[in-house]
Amino acid sequence: MNFELSQDHKVLQSAVRDFVEKEIKPIAMKIDEEHMIPDALVTKMGEMGFLGSYLPEEYGGAGLDMLSYAIVVEEVSKACGSSGVLISAHTSLCSGPIYTFGTEAQKKKWLPALNTGETIGCFLLTEPDAGSDAGGTATTYTREGDEFVINGSKTFITNGGYLGTGVLLASYDRSLKHKGISAFIVDLKSPGVTILKNENKMGIRGSYTTAFAFDNLRVPVENLLGQEGKGFNVAMDTLNGGRIGIASQALGIAEGAFERALAYSKERKQFGQAISEFQAIQFKLADMFTSIETSKLLTYRAACLKDAKKNYTMESAMCKMHASETATFVTKEAIQIHGGYGFIVDYEVERMYRDAKITEIYEGTNEVQRVVISKLLLS
Amino acid sequence: MKLLVCIKQVPDLESRFKPDAAGVWYNETDLAFRMNEYDEYAVEQAVQLREKLGEGTELTVLSIGPDRVVEAIKKALAMGCDNAVHIQDTAVSAKDPWQIASIISTYVQGKNFDLIFTGMQSQDRGSAQVGVTVAEQLGFACTTTIVGFDYADGTVTAKRELEGGIKGVVKLKTPALVTCQLGLNVPRYPTLPNIMKAKRKEITAIPVADLLTADLLATTTSFHPPAKKGGGIVLEGDVGELVDKVIAILKDKTAVLR
Repeated sequence: MNFELSQDHKVLQSAVRDFVEKEIKPIAMKIDEEHMIPDALVTKMGEMGFLGSYLPEEYGGAGLDMLSYAIVVEEVSKACGSSGVLISAHTSLCSGPIYTFGTEAQKKKWLPALNTGETIGCFLLTEPDAGSDAGGTATTYTREGDEFVINGSKTFITNGGYLGTGVLLASYDRSLKHKGISAFIVDLKSPGVTILKNENKMGIRGSYTTAFAFDNLRVPVENLLGQEGKGFNVAMDTLNGGRIGIASQALGIAEGAFERALAYSKERKQFGQAISEFQAIQFKLADMFTSIETSKLLTYRAACLKDAKKNYTMESAMCKMHASETATFVTKEAIQIHGGYGFIVDYEVERMYRDAKITEIYEGTNEVQRVVISKLLLS
Repeated sequence: MKLLVCIKQVPDLESRFKPDAAGVWYNETDLAFRMNEYDEYAVEQAVQLREKLGEGTELTVLSIGPDRVVEAIKKALAMGCDNAVHIQDTAVSAKDPWQIASIISTYVQGKNFDLIFTGMQSQDRGSAQVGVTVAEQLGFACTTTIVGFDYADGTVTAKRELEGGIKGVVKLKTPALVTCQLGLNVPRYPTLPNIMKAKRKEITAIPVADLLTADLLATTTSFHPPAKKGGGIVLEGDVGELVDKVIAILKDKTAVLR
């Protein structure tokens, strides 16, 4: 067993870190305040290859592996959770399923623009009445000649506001539950697509969370992703991989908050000594760091399993659950260590605390992760 | 045209340095390493020239050290170097600038390099001798601390930084060597696709014993942190007195109140 990153992964980590330090960290607070990741940053991340890390070179990706992808999302999220989830949702939830389930023609058509960041991808599964219960999808499709016609609505769509490329789930017959669901690749600039609103959120404010209405959205039949009626499988497989991305995002948020808390504890003096001299603070730091390291091992392991083409369903559920709970715990403690200053926007840990919470909720709530883990244990 | 860029991997300068067991260099345990900053300017300039000259030009990156220096080599490859030479040496820190330069010169001899780029100095040893010594040993034209670079028809035009912000321009015929200073360029980030491409580029490993012929001329005998200074002076008294004391100190110890 070897727990060291390879030299290639270290080169990547250091390159991403340098980029984040200079290009993202200085504007992370502005991204939160203005509820917007500047287009220039999205372009730069595309040029760096952050938006196609593990997709093959023949489709315009960087051709690296899942572990590299996890490192990219982690390093970016240390500075900015919004930018981290942009990469994660784009790659895992849109490019990922197109690569896994798409035909050669679909991959050639859609992936190059996604991998370079020319278009931003999203995953249209969640609806007002269907989230954790994907079988309850109420958006419907019918076939008319060479086209599918989609009607319904979607909500909480990460990256939706970019109106790029989407992987959309819709049902042929709602009474069939999950067996009636199919997946489609959609161009969100098409007629029939309306943005109802971009949500105003507690955290990851720079990231779009969009509600859509679809009114006779016409999709050519060649955009069916995977087999008709097998959309539920596409969704489940996609979420499995996506959990590694969210775990990496949560891990990065936790690490970003920890770095600040550790540094602050050494600077802040009370009763004539640095507060890091007090055991109450020391124990907090020990608990925070242990939880971070545990999350990192779980997350990297899930990524390595996916790279090795082994089953990683349980591991991705565990890393997502543990890393997200680590993120909320560590960011909360980071504020506590900062005392009153932690509650002030300028110290940034309050943003990280707000950013952390969603990681316990999206891409399968942690309650759903526990269902996944326990089902596999008992099956 | 054949280009060479020589790089060194150095510890992160924000690290806490402790002397090694022999007390002659720093202890490497727990240190994070990265490419020497000035060498990044050298790599960037070499890659820019490589891109400008296009096909038919070959850019090699060279580094001496233990296995960990391959990380710096891979970064240079991801920035755009074509191939690499890793001179394997686990005792590189015990060598003086003369020996390091000799190793590089021995490697370069007979390989028809036209132009060599180095950083102006390393961030850890800071001798600023290796580049100029290599040039001397090889009989190359050389200029140092360049902040501007151009090349055309066998002539390098280098802008140099002199004291007080004054600039000078130097022209050199190849074969030549330049040492690169902060301000020359902004090194590019290695992109993910280029990190992937770098994995396929050739890294030739050469044991240092095959190239080491020179003896040590200067031995480092001690490595130690500066002696701890006493704390600052704490002045006491009423404001008028304090001001007088501060003025007296400023007049006595500094040039600000003459």
